[in-house]
Amino acid sequence: MGSKTIRALLFWVQQKRWLLLILFVGLTMYWLPYPESISAQGYRTFIICVMVVALIITEPVPLPAVALLIAILEVAFRITDPTGAAKSFMGDSVFFIMGSLMMAVAIVHQGLDTRLALGIIELTGNKVRNIVFGFTAISAILSSFVGEHTVVAMMLPVGLSLIRNMPKGKKIPNLTALILFSIAYGSTIGSIGTPSGGARNAIMIEYWRTFTDTTLTYTQWIVMAYPVVLIGIASASILLMFAFKPEYKIMDTAVRKLRVQVAKRGRIAGNEILSIIIFSITFLCWVFLNEKIGMGIIAIGGAFLYMATGLIEWKQVSKETNWGVILLFAGAISLGTHMKLTGTAVWLGESVILATGGLMEQFELFRNFIVIIMTTVMSNIMSSSGTIAVLGPIVLNMGGDPLFMGMSAAIASAFGYFSAVAAPACMIIYSSGLVKVTDFLKAGWRLGLASIVTLLIITQFYWPYVKWLTNFQ
Amino acid sequence: MRFLVAIKDTSKESKNILQIAVKIASGFGADISVIFVGKKSRDIIASEVDLARKSLAEWNIYHPGLEVLEWAYQSLKELNFLPENEIEFKPENLVEDKNRVRMVLPYTSGQKIRLILREGQLLEELKKELDFREYELIMVGNPKSNRNIHQIVQFLDSSIFIIKNFDPSWNYKILLCVDDSNSTKRAVMFGAQISKHFHAEVNVITVSKTKRFGKGYRNASRWAGKYLNLQKVPHNVNMITGKPTDTFVKQAGSDHIIVMGKAKGNEFFKYFKGSKPIHTAQKAECPILIVQ
Repeated sequence: MGSKTIRALLFWVQQKRWLLLILFVGLTMYWLPYPESISAQGYRTFIICVMVVALIITEPVPLPAVALLIAILEVAFRITDPTGAAKSFMGDSVFFIMGSLMMAVAIVHQGLDTRLALGIIELTGNKVRNIVFGFTAISAILSSFVGEHTVVAMMLPVGLSLIRNMPKGKKIPNLTALILFSIAYGSTIGSIGTPSGGARNAIMIEYWRTFTDTTLTYTQWIVMAYPVVLIGIASASILLMFAFKPEYKIMDTAVRKLRVQVAKRGRIAGNEILSIIIFSITFLCWVFLNEKIGMGIIAIGGAFLYMATGLIEWKQVSKETNWGVILLFAGAISLGTHMKLTGTAVWLGESVILATGGLMEQFELFRNFIVIIMTTVMSNIMSSSGTIAVLGPIVLNMGGDPLFMGMSAAIASAFGYFSAVAAPACMIIYSSGLVKVTDFLKAGWRLGLASIVTLLIITQFYWPYVKWLTNFQ
Repeated sequence: MRFLVAIKDTSKESKNILQIAVKIASGFGADISVIFVGKKSRDIIASEVDLARKSLAEWNIYHPGLEVLEWAYQSLKELNFLPENEIEFKPENLVEDKNRVRMVLPYTSGQKIRLILREGQLLEELKKELDFREYELIMVGNPKSNRNIHQIVQFLDSSIFIIKNFDPSWNYKILLCVDDSNSTKRAVMFGAQISKHFHAEVNVITVSKTKRFGKGYRNASRWAGKYLNLQKVPHNVNMITGKPTDTFVKQAGSDHIIVMGKAKGNEFFKYFKGSKPIHTAQKAECPILIVQ
């Protein structure tokens, strides 16, 4: 072998070291004797789980490839036959994720951000305190319905324009962080409010259906989750002001310049009105028809309307939709289904209960606390939706009320405030280059702590009283 | 000739890198490509980030990496590396090809500079850029760790200039480390050319672990002296006994630019044990050019 070839080989090995290590660990586990408390198929499903989590965290291969690996291993490990693997890849929640991502592309391209800018300015005026509250609240409320990354994509230009319009000369790192974090955290907080707020919510709905044969409707989810959103909006806007003391208290010039900038774009156009109408129809269908036809069909129906009315072309949709993520979630849901069928989920859930020495069974609060902490930590490492896809089947088998357990996990997966990688919103503001990794910690620990406490209180003092309103009564 | 200059921000260190890059490129009559390698979003949220970027671009707010490239462009202008005629940096002139974004500078004659934006890990992206287009020399700032230095020197198939602690106000001398490696002659040529442009004195050293200097070492040292004489470069030649890496680092101090050839030998061995150039680059306190 020539030195060039050896160098290329060494480089490849180095780049793919995680993949090689994960495959080695997976194969070693496969040949090792497995515990008696789990079936052979269950143990093999557990191996796939370990490999998938490690591959998502270390990213040595593209994510769609991880989804393909799930299908390959399900068949290779004789967990299911090829038809079973293929069938388990598709469900209403996969349609929902697909439709939501396609609609997000369509909405962002309509130029509604200008209207948003105008609306925010009219509402908040020029005081920094009010602007921060306005950004947090509007981002949260919108992201509850249209998804956090769509909202950040629309709100970020408004926030950045305000920052850029500030008088030059004085550096404004705190004010910059304050505005950007109010958008990112606002969107993340809001995304827990409804099932359409994020892919993780749709995945949890699917898991409830699979594991408990019942699930929440769109409005029932709102009843359960919205108090957390409202408290989150208030605490985020207050805590952010403590974390980043702004250099200015009033953004008079910036607001005036933004007004001029927005005014140049003219009156609301037909496509913008049509876009709002289509989304409103989709939303109303989610509220009133989701039990009959499923949220996924409604979401792809919305995407169909955007394309049918010519608001967006298929070429653009296909180019900008993250098909890889759809495939990954399809794979993760398939894995979740087989975790149930093979008993892996029950085994893992019981293992967690055993590991805590029975404390979970004695204290309900402790059980909720463990679920929230587990989900929060994992979502800060792995990303929020990925966390629910993997952790969902386990938490639903950790004893306790599956509604409370699932809901706690779905909500806590949004507490990815500590790192830039957890939520799309955080990564988007980080990619602007204007906030540092340390800023996430500075603001994140306050909000993280407040959110965990809020959720614990809600699980103890609110959900038990509204459970009768849900299908889980 | 084509040189690739990697900058990581708009700091003074990056400015110094551009300054030395311009000086060396002028000496060789080379084109410069400035590359900024930004942080890549995780795959799982990459398209969401792209969507936000597109939305921002409609408000004339561009990728932060473009601001770094614009700054580099203005710096090159200040350093008189660009032609006299007015050339504007316009984000609209971005061209996307093979996972990289390139700025087209429509009025530059002979494409003297290119501005490239990539996202990912520095080493991987530099390697991809090398696969895309051949560069004779890659210039980088001080990598974060010794491991990074090791990988950059071993895996990039080009000459590497690691610009450590460069102070443009100093008068650097050249420390030309000569041995029996295949790249020594090319290193001497590079060193002579740089010395001419920097008006720097050249110290040629050959270091042997034992008192006996092998034929290859003696010939290389003699050839270097002859070549520098021919090029009329002021120099002195020394043969020193000691540990090569430590001697190079000690002799260089912080006021030399070390120039040496890439090591010959087994790539596996280099990967696990390193090589003289790799260890010197890791320990040196001054800029070091490793010539392939």
